[in-house]
Amino acid sequence: MPERSENVIEIRGLVNRFGEQVLHDGLDLDIRRGEVLGVVGGSGSGKSVLLRTIIGLNRPADGDIRVLGQLTRELDDEALRRLQTRWGVLFQNGALFSSLTVSENIQAPMRERGGIPPELMEELAGLKIRLVGLPVEAAGKYPSQLSGGMRKRVGLARALALDPEILFLDEPTAGLDPIGAADFDQLIRSLQQSLGLTVVMITHDLDSLVTICDRIAVLVDKKIKVGTLEELMRDPHPWIQSYFHGPRARAAGIAAD
Amino acid sequence: MTYQPGWIKLAEGHDGALLQAGGAWTVEHAADLDRQVESLPKEAAPRALDLGGIEAIDTAGAWLLARASGQGESQEIPWQNLPAEFRPLAERVLMAGPKVVADRPGPRTILDWVADIGAGAEETYDQALNLIAFFGEFVLAAARVVASPRRFRWVPLLVHVEQTGINALPIVGLISFLVGVVLAYQGTDQLRQFNAQFLTVNMVGISVLREMGILLTAIVVAGRSGSAFTAQIGTMQVSEEVDALRTMGLDPMEVLVIPRVAALIITLPILTFFADLMGLLGGGLMYAVLVDQTFGQYVSRLNDVVTPTMFWVGMVKAPVFAILISLVGCLEGLRVTGSAESVGKMTTRAVVEGIFLVIIFDALFSVLFSILSI
Repeated sequence: MPERSENVIEIRGLVNRFGEQVLHDGLDLDIRRGEVLGVVGGSGSGKSVLLRTIIGLNRPADGDIRVLGQLTRELDDEALRRLQTRWGVLFQNGALFSSLTVSENIQAPMRERGGIPPELMEELAGLKIRLVGLPVEAAGKYPSQLSGGMRKRVGLARALALDPEILFLDEPTAGLDPIGAADFDQLIRSLQQSLGLTVVMITHDLDSLVTICDRIAVLVDKKIKVGTLEELMRDPHPWIQSYFHGPRARAAGIAAD
Repeated sequence: MTYQPGWIKLAEGHDGALLQAGGAWTVEHAADLDRQVESLPKEAAPRALDLGGIEAIDTAGAWLLARASGQGESQEIPWQNLPAEFRPLAERVLMAGPKVVADRPGPRTILDWVADIGAGAEETYDQALNLIAFFGEFVLAAARVVASPRRFRWVPLLVHVEQTGINALPIVGLISFLVGVVLAYQGTDQLRQFNAQFLTVNMVGISVLREMGILLTAIVVAGRSGSAFTAQIGTMQVSEEVDALRTMGLDPMEVLVIPRVAALIITLPILTFFADLMGLLGGGLMYAVLVDQTFGQYVSRLNDVVTPTMFWVGMVKAPVFAILISLVGCLEGLRVTGSAESVGKMTTRAVVEGIFLVIIFDALFSVLFSILSI
């Protein structure tokens, strides 16, 4: 992919509220092409809602969201569907279709798009399975026969089914053991580099933030502060301070003892 | 940015044939590219695949190029001139290794059909054994609860009584009323030919009390509540709630099954009684309209021809049917494995098996009553 420093996602003045509770109040965020952006924030700060808003599962109360140059709230159903094929989403628990095999799960987005011959879909599903580091035998298995880590990889393969430009990950390493989590981080990084993806990941895993994220977006006070790890460590905001200087941060080797 | 659609062609040069590819090799054009790659002449043996014209590429495109150049087969055609920015992706795809063909099931033969019949029979037999074993477990658990009544769960019982009983009153009542109307209408129509239309009262009374009331109620409850039991317990099974109960030392039989069975044992007789009333009412209204008699005359005649035994013959079946329906519903729920599809499949089975068993046992009761000459 050619290097371009354009923004793939631009959020301006986003407002999200549920009843009385205001989650986002005039939130701005730019996501650049080819970067890995980590989104962090306390529980209930609206990380998942932000993700759901960008991918169109949640209609914001106010604000503009531009994805790949298109203003999402002005798109009709057809245009939105076309845009949706240009991003892939990995949900927190994989959200695999339990009644389909691994291979059928990965083929589901291709089948929906149409126009790809069945044998080629089968081959491409096999390719995706190997790209995410799963054994070929996994193709015919059902999600309930797989371990949690394998389910995440299948979810990732399904998110990559249509070769998207943007990959959204919701807590990709949650529930994995440290070795599995580190492997998954490496997998995301290497796929991001070789396939030229832009990755937006919600994460609580400080190791992931350190090892694979180019920039970090912190959700505090209903807005977002974004910067590199070093910039954020100098930020005086109390939540950011305790986040990056807490005992867990020290264990991850971010903060000095 | 728009790209030219991908293309591939064989060019003849002075030093042998050369494959050339260009344009956008992306999933958008996959179907067309697949056709182009497949229609390349197999015997050409080009010396290289020139990729200088590639404008865009994704994993699907790289895969098709790998296929075009015979990657992983005996005769590999080397790649050349791939623009540098596409190399990491291509390498990644090639690294993933050659094509692996998954096993596809062969076409079905007549033997498979025969085998299916055998497997189906075996499954039915297993299912019968399962149900009997489950009934045994239920009796043991019920005995434990009777021995120490503190363990009985009253709140779930009341919730299920409300859901399976009170909420079912309107539909059970309506169906029975309408069936009573139909019985009286058809009966009068036929009996009038023999000038015996007054016998309609006997017919409506006996058929509603002995059979129709209980059978209709049991079928409605199997469809309404048997399925609900399976879906509730099955969903808990999928989200591992049943396993969580077990690890806390709680017996799913005691926590989930006994309150549901007990609730149906309470509600099914009451619903049957209500269905009897509504059936007799519907029959009476129709009779009064057709035969030119008052409803009061219908009631007094009913009082002469119907005996308490007829009523009890119907009612005594209710607790038995209640146990059948609720046990099948709970058993199928506990047999759910892992997926949403399984919940649906087991729920269907619970309803079908529940209604089937109700009819079978109804027939057995008829045989029993005729032996006892009741």
